[in-house]
Amino acid sequence: MAKFVVTTNAVTLNGTDISGNCARAELVINAAEVDTTDFGSAGWTEVIGGLKSGTVSLDFHSDFGSGAVSELFEGLVGTIGTVTLIAGNGTAASATTPEYSTEVLINSFTPVAGAVGDLSTFSVSFPTSGAVSYATA
Amino acid sequence: MASITAIRNGIVANLTSISGLRAVAEVPDNPSPPIAIVNLDSVEYDGALNNGLTTYSFQVSLIVGRAAERTMQRKLDAYSDVTGSQSVKVAVESDRTLSGEVYDLRVERSSSIGSIQIQDQTYLAAEFTVTVYA
Repeated sequence: MAKFVVTTNAVTLNGTDISGNCARAELVINAAEVDTTDFGSAGWTEVIGGLKSGTVSLDFHSDFGSGAVSELFEGLVGTIGTVTLIAGNGTAASATTPEYSTEVLINSFTPVAGAVGDLSTFSVSFPTSGAVSYATA
Repeated sequence: MASITAIRNGIVANLTSISGLRAVAEVPDNPSPPIAIVNLDSVEYDGALNNGLTTYSFQVSLIVGRAAERTMQRKLDAYSDVTGSQSVKVAVESDRTLSGEVYDLRVERSSSIGSIQIQDQTYLAAEFTVTVYA
């Protein structure tokens, strides 16, 4: 595997491939900082990793066609959905195109956006719920 | 996924709804005005993952007629209008999906409005920029 330009990462929501309407996909995994600084820290703060969390951020091109991405999000706000992201321009999980899968809380959707003359787009950012799985096969 | 040729032909088809205007997809050797020539200007790939969006910019070169003829300015005005049966914008946007070949299109602007020289003759002309999302 070499360095690469993102062109064909795969994105699915609840099993539906929405890659063709997705212009940007990002998964961030965090661990909370738990302070363990004490009198023995020699004037420095010390931390350990706490609870892990994640955020999935996606930019879409609006499409209200039957089964298209805008229709897909209708009615999902407030529900838990499953997002899979295949990195490395892959279409299936492999060592060089790993698949990340996680449940997310679909806590927002912007069905109408855009200025006159612009391509209609919308962006979402969902907190993960539970573990983020990593698969290479 | 639409081919560039199909998109170009679709724009030509929309333009033919303007009475008296010939529209062509290829530059003729001796253009006979009034004529609209559809040229591809640029292609922007990878607007979405998996070739989900390609943005094309087409230039519609409109040659109205000899600048010396008194009616030509009025014809150019009608072609450049936002509304009306002679409006290039109305004609091109009359079928914004080009019979389902593309997602959407828009005539963004008319520019270079003025005179051009073709074979020692001065013609009134204008350029229309058409952005196509496919």
